[in-house]
Order: sequence, then structure tokens, then C-alpha cells
Amino acid sequence: ASINCRVTSCLFSFIQDWVYVWSDIISTVEFNYSGELLATGDKGGRVVIFQHEQESKNRPHLRGEYNVYSTFQSHEPEFDYLKSLEIEEKINKIRWLPQQNAAHFLLSTNDKTIKLWKISERDKRAEGYNLKDEDGRLRDPFRITSLRVPVLMPMDLMVEASPRRIFANAHTYHINSISVNSDHETYLSADDLRINLWHLEITDRSFNIVDIKPANMEELTEVITAAECHPHQCNVFVYSSSKGTIRLCDMRAAALCDRHSKFFEEPEDPSSRSFFSEIISSISDVKFSHSGRYMMTRDYLSVKVWDLNMENRPVETYQVHEYLRSKLCSLYENDCIFDKFECCWNGSDSAIMTGSYNNFFRMFDRNTRRDITLEASRESSKPRATLKPRKVSTGGKRKKDEISVDSLDFNKKILHTAWHPKDNVIAVAATNNLYIFQDKIN
Amino acid sequence: MLGRGVKRKWSCLEEAEVVSEARQLVLGLCLEKLQRYQAGVELSLRRSVLLINTLRQIQEEMRSDGVGSCDVHPDSCLLRDDFREDVTVTCPGCSEGESPPELPSQEANGSDQQKPPAAVSDAVNAMGYLGDLALDDIFEDIDTSMYETSDLPSAWASGSLPQSHSTAGSLQSCLMDLNELDHIMEILVVETHLVGPGLQNGFSL
Repeated sequence: ASINCRVTSCLFSFIQDWVYVWSDIISTVEFNYSGELLATGDKGGRVVIFQHEQESKNRPHLRGEYNVYSTFQSHEPEFDYLKSLEIEEKINKIRWLPQQNAAHFLLSTNDKTIKLWKISERDKRAEGYNLKDEDGRLRDPFRITSLRVPVLMPMDLMVEASPRRIFANAHTYHINSISVNSDHETYLSADDLRINLWHLEITDRSFNIVDIKPANMEELTEVITAAECHPHQCNVFVYSSSKGTIRLCDMRAAALCDRHSKFFEEPEDPSSRSFFSEIISSISDVKFSHSGRYMMTRDYLSVKVWDLNMENRPVETYQVHEYLRSKLCSLYENDCIFDKFECCWNGSDSAIMTGSYNNFFRMFDRNTRRDITLEASRESSKPRATLKPRKVSTGGKRKKDEISVDSLDFNKKILHTAWHPKDNVIAVAATNNLYIFQDKIN
Repeated sequence: MLGRGVKRKWSCLEEAEVVSEARQLVLGLCLEKLQRYQAGVELSLRRSVLLINTLRQIQEEMRSDGVGSCDVHPDSCLLRDDFREDVTVTCPGCSEGESPPELPSQEANGSDQQKPPAAVSDAVNAMGYLGDLALDDIFEDIDTSMYETSDLPSAWASGSLPQSHSTAGSLQSCLMDLNELDHIMEILVVETHLVGPGLQNGFSL
């Protein structure tokens, strides 16, 4: 069925707005709660924050642009002397805290250490000190003949980022997730085998709430792949595994949440079993819907939406790139089968988005069941032109404008995407390029 | 009639061959990936676990098909935490006196690994090679209990897995030289000097 994608009526009529080019691979993208700020982390440990500007007269039909607001080095490479191994400075995840005052706070993490950063603005400075000059030099006390009151004068806006807390030494394994709790006081961090609960004010202690490390490591068959706090119930969180299961835990039930309250797993289809069944069932991302009623999981080939009240199967399944199922062996050979794609909801939970290969990303409308494939590429679209839907040809005959599976570039992978919490503005990270797309407003 | 009978037999064989070939390919890839090791970079535990599970699945299938008598258990030798206790254990299946499993080609890579002592003795035990050499005695004084590995042992990482009989041919090329063993022992001596009393484990486990 063809997708009728007229500009005025379709949910997915996005235009390419901005492209930012990095020197490093972007490793995480996240809007803040209002959508005013967009944070990105990269492989070099840097964080770049973009801010939404007001609409300008030059662009009456578009929302404001996102401009660079602040850049700082969040993590540096470290060396673990105990294991003679380097600890990468790559930012795995960034999560914003809800804004409580003029400053903005975010958590950023690499494999081992989580940091709380404060980003604040300074647009005034005091002038007219008595004891020192404007350039800071001390005034000669004998020259001071009168007292003056320093005055606050406007200055060019300066955005400062300072590390306020460093949460270190609590993870033996690689941190894959952080999630701020709805109580705004605690957050969880998850590595391959353990999940810890932290208080934002306390850095030298954390509670271990999940531990799946077996006494005998030889028995290890499953690892934690992602974890998230429930958006409204501060006692509930979920974590996904490499075996395609999701466990929902209630922190009121016990101090150690090794026993789940709910266990989500879809029974395997025996007809599609292969050597790679387990690998492709491994969940790479889990996200609650904004409503808190559903959660979405991403495995290698599909995205599944689960109703929290139904554990035995998902309520919706969307195929991201089913045409890769016959190519699993090659993808296993070139390691692509281990790629971890993320997924996200739009603000109203009516649509979901996830990335694919060849710089393609996919969107699914949950109500109309329509889906679209778009490409994040500078060559393929003119600025301000509506993005053309892409199609991968699976059959023998390739239509015009379609691309065959064998021509897909598996080095161009879109692992990280983010959707503005209110508007139809999306951020897509394609290796070292950040694309910001928005839909046209009439 | 004869023709039909022969035809059926061949297609069955063909199918089994295709499956077995696919299995061999994936098995080979599994082992290759487990062996691949980048010095100084920690392996992804998720990737390693998925690879091992795939390997086990293939071996299960092979066993149930009656293909290999080799009970290859990569986990028991290699997914270990506390080396000291397990140093003398050989993995089940290796003690059955099967064809010598592949030796680690990890000497070049393992030079800056944290656990060469256990890794080497572990690999050696798995191999059965130089089994009578009292390597355990040499490494007895090295206390590895103060820290735990956050990763699977280097020996396993480098793929010191007992090979199934079908790949025995390639094993010969991977036998460790005595020279290389000397090299490792040199490094071990250096390593023990590096691990001093000043280092602290800050993990809250």
C-alpha cells in the first residue's frame, strides 16, 4: 500500500532543518522536559547543548532554530590500573533533570562514572568595586577617596557548565542506562549485571536494587541491557535483558528487587528459529510511554509496544527492517547484529521512531498503522524540501527510487534519535552528523 | 525404482549437509569472534554472553544430532570469577582425551592483561598441553582475590576453547611455542611487581 503523504495532512511530513557536523561520533541525543534544550554526547566525552531560539522573521513558516548553547568536556578517558584497561570517555547516556530554577541540570554517564552537570547563564556582572579595578588588579588604597556601590551591568551571555556531583566506583560492569525517578530526588543506573539506586545529593553511596550476577560466572547466560524508571510511579522501574525479556520491579516489595513483579516475554515463534534467534531477540532499548501505561522495546528487527497489564505478549509489533532476516549470517559476520538501536515516543504517544541502516530511520503511527522510512542525508534532500519517503526493495524487481537490500550501507547506522516532548521536531544522529527535522506549520 | 530411492537418499543427505555446513560456518564465526581480542579494550559482556549462548546452542544441536562426541563447554573453563579455586579444574569434555583443543594465540595480545597467571594456567589446563608442568605452583603466591574481574577471562576472550573434532586440522597451527610461554612468564613477573599494596578497590559490591 502506498503511503499518502501530502504535506498538509500527514503526520510525517518532515523537512530538514539543520545539520550539525561533529568531529566525533554522536553517542546519545536527548531533549529536556520542555524541549527547549537538546543535549548530545559524543565518543570523545563531549556534551553539546542546543537551545531553541524564538521564531524569526526570516523563517515565518518554521519553528525557531536550535543553536549551540553550551559545549563542555564531560568525561575524560581513564585508565583502570587494576585491569590494565582503558575506560572510554564516550558518553553512553544523557538524562535531564526537571527544571527547578533558572539553571539546568543533566546527568551524563560513560561506562563507569555518572556526573551531574549544572548549566547556568550569566548575563550580568558587577562593576565598580572599591578595592579592585575592572581588570581585577587591586587598587592602591591611598587612591581610594570615596565609596561607591558596585552596579550590575549587562554583559554578553555566558553559559557555564560545572560538575556538581560525581557518582563513581559503583559499577564493575559497563553502565548502559541511567534514568531519573519521578520523585526528582533519586535516579537509577544500570550496568550489565546490576542496577543501583542513587540519591542526587549523595555520591559516596548507592543502593543496589538488582543483582543478576551468578555466584559462578560460568552460569551467566543473560545480561541487563536497559533500565528505566516509571514516569509517574516512583517505586516502579523496568529492565530488559539480552534474552528478550522485560522485568518490572516494585521497590516497595523488597530492598533487593531480584524478584520481579511482572515478567514480559513473547513466546518464540518456532518456525522462525535460527542460530541467531537469541541474538536478535536481545532488547537494546526500553522506553515507557509518556502516559506510563505502555512501554516500548527495541530488538534487532522490530519495535514492540507492551501494555503494562499484559505480560504474555506485546500489544503492537512493528517491523523495522524485516528484509534483514535473510541476511542475518552476514550481519553476524560483520558484527552489525550486535548494534544497539534506540527508540522513542512522540509527545502524545501516538507515534514511535527508531533508526536503521543506510542512514534510514523509521516512524510508525500507532493509530493509523501507517509507517514511513526517511533518510538523514545531506545529498538526498534539498534544505527546506519535504523529506521523501524511502523504500527498500525486497522482491526481485526493483522499482525506480527503491534501493536494494544489498546496496544498503551498514556503516551508516542511526542508533540514536529523539523526539521533542511537545512538537513534531526530531533529532537524528547519523554517525557524526546531527540532523534536526521539523514538520511544516501552516 | 532404484533411481528414486537413490534420489531421496541424496536429497536427505544434501539437506543434512547444508544444515551442517551452516552450523560449521556459524560455529567457526563464533569461535573467531570469541578469539578476537583488542589489547587494552574491555570486551562487551553482552556480546560475549550472546556469542557463548550461540555457541552452546550449536553444540547442543550437534550433540543431539549425534555429530560430535566432543562435549565442548566453553563456559566451565572460561566464565570464571575466582581463578584461584578453579585453576586445577579441567572442563568436562576436555578430560575425555579428545583431540587437543586449540591453544590460545593470545600471547601477543595478553601482554597487558590483568590476569595472565590464571589465564595461562587455565588455558593450559583446558588444553591438556604441558599438563604435567606444575604451573599452579609457580603462580601460587599471586593473590588475585582482592579484585574481581568485570570481564570474562582473557584466555576465554582469546578463544582458548576446546575445539570440536571437525576443526582439528586447524589446531596444529595454533599450538603455543615454548618461546611464547617464556614470554608470558616474563610478563607475569612484571605484572606481579605492578600489583602493589597501594592499589585499592573502590567498588561497592
